[in-house]
Amino acid sequence: MENNKTEKGGTNRRKFLKLGLMSSVTAVAGASLISNLAIQDEEVTDSGEKMRLLTPDGKIVEVDASNINKYPEALITPEESRKGIPNRKFVMVIDLAKCKNARKCVEGCQKAHDLDYNEEFMKVQLIQDNPEASPYWLPKPCFHCDEPPCVTVCPTGATFKREDNIVLIDNDRCIGCKFCVTSCPYSARQFNWGHKDKFDDTSQPYSPETSVPAAEGTVMKCDFCPDMLRQGKLPHCAQSCPMGVIYFGDKNEDIVTNGEETVRFSQLIKDRGGYRHLEHLGTKPNVYYLPAVNRQFPLERGFNVDEDIIERYKDVPYVQDLKKQGKI
Amino acid sequence: MLNLEIMKSNLLKYTFITSFIITLLFSTNGVAQELDASNYKIRFNLKTVKQSDNSRLLEVIFFGQNKKDRKDKVPVFDAEIKFYNDDTLLGTSKTSNEGIAQITVPENQTYIKDKDGYITFKAVFEGSDGLDEEDDDVSIKDLHLELNLEEIDSIKTVIVKAFTLDSLGVKIPVEEADIIISVEAMLSKMKLEEGTIEDGEFEFEFPTDIPGDANGDLIVYSIIEDHDDFGNVIQKKSENWGNFQNQIVKEENKLWSEAAPIWMYIVLTILLVGVWANYVYTARYLFKIKKEGKQLEVNTEKTN
Amino acid sequence: MNLENRKRELAKEFSPLLEKTTKTSKIWIGFLIAVILVGVYAFFLQLFKGHIVTGMRDNVVWGIYIINFIFFVCLSYSGAFISGILHFFKTPWKNSISRIVEIITVLSLIIGPIFILLCIGRLDRLHYLFLYPRIQSPITWDIIAIMTDLIGCFIYLFLTFIPDFAILRDNSENAPKWRQKVYKFLAIGYQDTPEQREKLHKVTRTMSAMVIALAIVAYSVLAWIFSLTLQPGWNSSIFAPYFIVAGLYSGVGVIIIAMYLIRKYYNLEHYIRKVHFIGAGIILLVISLLFGYFTFSEYFSRWFSHKIQDANLLNTLFTRYFWMFIFANYIGVLVPIVILFFKKFRTIKSITFAAVIAVVGLWFNKYLIIVPTLETPYLPIQDTRPEFIHYTATWVEWALSFAGVAAFILFFILIMKLVPIIPMSGIIDNERDQKKNKKVYKKIVTE
Repeated sequence: MENNKTEKGGTNRRKFLKLGLMSSVTAVAGASLISNLAIQDEEVTDSGEKMRLLTPDGKIVEVDASNINKYPEALITPEESRKGIPNRKFVMVIDLAKCKNARKCVEGCQKAHDLDYNEEFMKVQLIQDNPEASPYWLPKPCFHCDEPPCVTVCPTGATFKREDNIVLIDNDRCIGCKFCVTSCPYSARQFNWGHKDKFDDTSQPYSPETSVPAAEGTVMKCDFCPDMLRQGKLPHCAQSCPMGVIYFGDKNEDIVTNGEETVRFSQLIKDRGGYRHLEHLGTKPNVYYLPAVNRQFPLERGFNVDEDIIERYKDVPYVQDLKKQGKI
Repeated sequence: MLNLEIMKSNLLKYTFITSFIITLLFSTNGVAQELDASNYKIRFNLKTVKQSDNSRLLEVIFFGQNKKDRKDKVPVFDAEIKFYNDDTLLGTSKTSNEGIAQITVPENQTYIKDKDGYITFKAVFEGSDGLDEEDDDVSIKDLHLELNLEEIDSIKTVIVKAFTLDSLGVKIPVEEADIIISVEAMLSKMKLEEGTIEDGEFEFEFPTDIPGDANGDLIVYSIIEDHDDFGNVIQKKSENWGNFQNQIVKEENKLWSEAAPIWMYIVLTILLVGVWANYVYTARYLFKIKKEGKQLEVNTEKTN
Repeated sequence: MNLENRKRELAKEFSPLLEKTTKTSKIWIGFLIAVILVGVYAFFLQLFKGHIVTGMRDNVVWGIYIINFIFFVCLSYSGAFISGILHFFKTPWKNSISRIVEIITVLSLIIGPIFILLCIGRLDRLHYLFLYPRIQSPITWDIIAIMTDLIGCFIYLFLTFIPDFAILRDNSENAPKWRQKVYKFLAIGYQDTPEQREKLHKVTRTMSAMVIALAIVAYSVLAWIFSLTLQPGWNSSIFAPYFIVAGLYSGVGVIIIAMYLIRKYYNLEHYIRKVHFIGAGIILLVISLLFGYFTFSEYFSRWFSHKIQDANLLNTLFTRYFWMFIFANYIGVLVPIVILFFKKFRTIKSITFAAVIAVVGLWFNKYLIIVPTLETPYLPIQDTRPEFIHYTATWVEWALSFAGVAAFILFFILIMKLVPIIPMSGIIDNERDQKKNKKVYKKIVTE
């Protein structure tokens, strides 16, 4: 089931299989080149991620992204990642009026963090607050709370709150007690239950800022992509959203952007009635929501996804109604 | 931003690797045959940006766009682009994996102008067996943008002056041009005002409630975008106009910080010391009992 | 030397318990070892394949392991609590059962924490708990509490064993050499002189008070692991006392069951008498009333105020978990109350039956606290994978759970082979006291 989905999910999967021979050749070639030139001591391995390019000879080719993308990035070690980016207080604002469950944020995030089909740091939930209420799509990342219960209960300090508001997990430190999973009221955390081949990927050294590679028996979650922020780029989810639903920025600057427009954070919250989810729990999240009023898309647009995804929402009264009417 | 530049330059450093890979891909084109470029319309666009240090950025975006599915865009990678001013070669650059080739021409470059003062830039891809030759050109006037941040009667005012120089070096104010005033943020620029330069000048009252960075510094941009005569022109200036007020306090001795609230240490210590003192007390008594036992043994042996 | 003779007599009386191994007990030991071996296999399976072999998934991240953990640790704390009270208040009929209680205490405190280790994804990093401790975490408190309590219970247990070791040392001429050596070492030169006896009684008394205090702290810390989170079914201020009462409930229950089995299979009808069962039964009655009261208060306040998440939780409990809820919180409380309340129902067998119901009911009570809560988080679970929505324990988890119970029984049998289950020194002490004031203890001759 899961495998099927993965193949469907990755558009390039079929082509990748066809090009399997080729990419293995490039990998070998890359390795030998490196030993010749001694540029880098990292080995070039097949990351499985493909990138389509047009060559100057007019051929469209698919190459392994690790061959092209391999900028020698500044590695942020687990120790350094505890500090945070100085003088920043990151916030996210999610505009529910614009979300149509396109799931691009989920996919962008999964691609960047090397996650499988069912592993989602960003989840899109369908929330209907009461049977009369109009349901809405709720993209739900980790809320990076100011008073995070998950950090409080961690016995080893594997998960920590940084000065720039980000809550990260150091999976080198995590003992897998799962206490943080039970103490998070937003179900933002996931556990790596069994071994997966991708955990052995050594093509890039582990950093809590990228959450890659994940490790068996440890916890993982949305990390607000600090590696992107250090490059002055938006987190992957915000970048991938075609609707500009996700705004991100620095609360100290009071400016957030969704990649297209840049606005004052305080103004946006004031004008649009921004709120935080489950405020009464007192965790002080750093993810704000703009209520789903004056929507840009009818809710039904969100049902233009896999059967399997629609099936997730079967308990929502609205969906049950739709099913009764035979609309889904 | 800086990182981005470094990356790009790094990518260029590895041209050997990338070109090797490309050759390799070419040699295995049997596998990649179905991916022919004939369904794609080739786009080749040149743009010029006069940057704040008065250098000039020339940028080509080179990609194929699917004729049926217009959202499907494939960047042309590693294509050599030549940049010209009339017939003078300014430089060459290869397209990145995003299909972008850039060169930066320093401020002191003298350009060939036509009689109206227009500079013509041209970018050329010379073509290959598979791709046709592509070129694009733009003609612009060299616009000088002066950005001044002044407090006039304690009102923070942004003053922009725009002019061109004629052949004698006389300033000729720009008659009309749309301008954008922005302020820099960590991830993007925030537009504050859109206006029009009239008679070479534009004034704007800067808002008082923008925090800026931790020192209250902020960077103001004046931008002319895609102007028919001037292309893109950007000017920026930094000033301590922010009202940054957030106290940056380090959270210490909280439940979620590294060190716990003090009372927790105290209570835990009291509890543990209390319990362990009791254990030690018990152990001492056990030793006493043992000692007495030995004494008794010795005594009985003696009496025996 | 009347006293010495009596000691010799007692040592002789109990020596078959220690030295002889009957055929049935051999079969039993073999069976228990087999169960444990299956558990060991399951453990290695989980170690090498990861927690994927369990029924736990992202929503229900803690399953029956943590329930067993609570169950055993609570059992231990209640053992310590009861034993401490028996010693501290010099309860008249304590002698026959105090050792049973002490052994239960220590064994369950060794087995309980093994279950929490099974919940940990990276056992290879266990030492990080000491390398990078964070004292804000209730898990850290729990580790400190368990370790301190374990040491305390060992010391306490040892104190109560010393006089018996001394008697065995002096009266085991026929026993194998190694046994004699062990007894000699463990008796630490105790000669039962009045000074030594007084010293020993003094420290035992202080330690018994300490053990009571430790048990209360450790219970509370265990309850706080759950009640300090924001989870709707856990975030309750009565959890700490509730866990104490629940722990005592299962503790007394297990003691009664152990008394029954030991009495039956070791022919100790002379020492473990009906009066003990009735005494324990009345305590069980009191605690079952308390436990019922706490359970009612806990669910009643959730039902009455019905915050949305609480209402969802109760809805789950009364639909999906209906029969389990009825069994754990109605039958598990009411049946023992009815049996123990009426005098004519109080027979050894019926009291033991009530205890079994209480213990099993309590296990399910814990199941209902842990699993349904995790299945109804604040934000609805929207998933299509059944194992991520509902928890069902796999055979690995059951195998390890039964291995825990088997290990508990096996160790119990083995300890009974080392020291008599009825403290001989206690019998002598009682006889001595009786001589002093015969009238007072006339009715309670059994000790």
